[in-house]
Amino acid sequence: MSKLTIGVSGINATSNPGPGIPVAKSLKESDIDCKLVGLSYDVNDPGHYLSHYLDKSYILPYPTNGWDGIYKRLQHIKKDFGLDVIIPCLDAELPLYIKYADELKKIGIETFLPTQKQFELRNKDKLTGFAEKIGAIYPKTWKIYSANELSKIFADHTEVMVKGQYYKAYKVNNLVDATKYFTSIAKEWGFPILIQEVVKGEELNLIGVGDGKGGNLGMVAIKKQTTTDIGKIWSGVTITHDALTKVAEKFVKKTKWRGPFEVECIVDGDKIQLIEINPRFPAWAYFATGVGINLPEQIIKSILKQKPSKINSYPSGKMFIRYTDEIICDITQFSNLVTVGENHVSTN
Amino acid sequence: MNKIKSLVINESGFTFDPFTGETFTLNETGAVIIRQLREDAPLAEITEELTKTFDVSAGDAYTDILEFRNKLVIYGLLEVSA
Repeated sequence: MSKLTIGVSGINATSNPGPGIPVAKSLKESDIDCKLVGLSYDVNDPGHYLSHYLDKSYILPYPTNGWDGIYKRLQHIKKDFGLDVIIPCLDAELPLYIKYADELKKIGIETFLPTQKQFELRNKDKLTGFAEKIGAIYPKTWKIYSANELSKIFADHTEVMVKGQYYKAYKVNNLVDATKYFTSIAKEWGFPILIQEVVKGEELNLIGVGDGKGGNLGMVAIKKQTTTDIGKIWSGVTITHDALTKVAEKFVKKTKWRGPFEVECIVDGDKIQLIEINPRFPAWAYFATGVGINLPEQIIKSILKQKPSKINSYPSGKMFIRYTDEIICDITQFSNLVTVGENHVSTN
Repeated sequence: MNKIKSLVINESGFTFDPFTGETFTLNETGAVIIRQLREDAPLAEITEELTKTFDVSAGDAYTDILEFRNKLVIYGLLEVSA
């Protein structure tokens, strides 16, 4: 049997990293015999040049241009190099992969994703009612379409979060900054903009994978110890938090979630204040692998109908430390990507 | 539940809360007090331990213990019955 070929997106291992390389790294360390393909939208994504993680990489048309271009490109990749499974790792592409999962399956490309309905349940603008159903609280949130609405909110609040529907979140304590971020997020990611009350407590996160039947294939909770300017984890520590775990288990059970997810919350004692539930792996996915919970491997085993090893126990007090590194490569790799949109990473 | 029993404390007083990921460092006195509180030792016993270990009067030791215990309560690490 030929090696399984797995595609991962989000190979932007930059200062604002995507989850693709951590997912690839986890699969490399698993006992799954596979080839790994990077699926990217930018020739400057460092993943294109990381031969120790990826065997080949391809440039895809942007998701904003619709499905047809991506689908044709994936068909080409399957024919050219092989492509049996895709683990999409970026928010913007997920709706397309979910919508066209059956189409991909027909041409022999498997995914492990939630349904459209499940996906929408955890939309930021729907979390208000949903949070209560899973034993959490969702901070008061306004969905706004004009900067004028900001002043009304600031009449009663001294500090709020300004958030995009998909990306970006800034804490602001004055109307000028709020308006600035409202405008910049709207320009980049569109409307609505979400304004959220600031809640007090410890920021804790949890990564997991739902099996699609109401159970999970593993979960790991962490506390971010240090973050970058835009809130990305730089160092963290594993924790054991029963209340947070219960909320995550209820989320998976209630939605019958299929695929990876990340719960972001502010915890005050046993009170879980939900910030968001991301429908994909976070960029710190390798942290879970490092403490014995290899979630990308679990996904592939599920797809292959192999019995996943449900290990939910991991040690608390294990640390994650991100660091920067450099690689040197030939410019032909860059030119391959610019001219033909692909790079044979591992043989260059 | 008294969370101090779950705290991981190393020999130099570095303390890790496995529930929240919080870390802090105890001085020698704090380390002695917290270790005793974890064993449910009565205040009189902790006072005696402090006076034996450090050059401190029983009155000062008792005051320090109460002050430190209050901090643990404030930080949600200890519950004290009224």
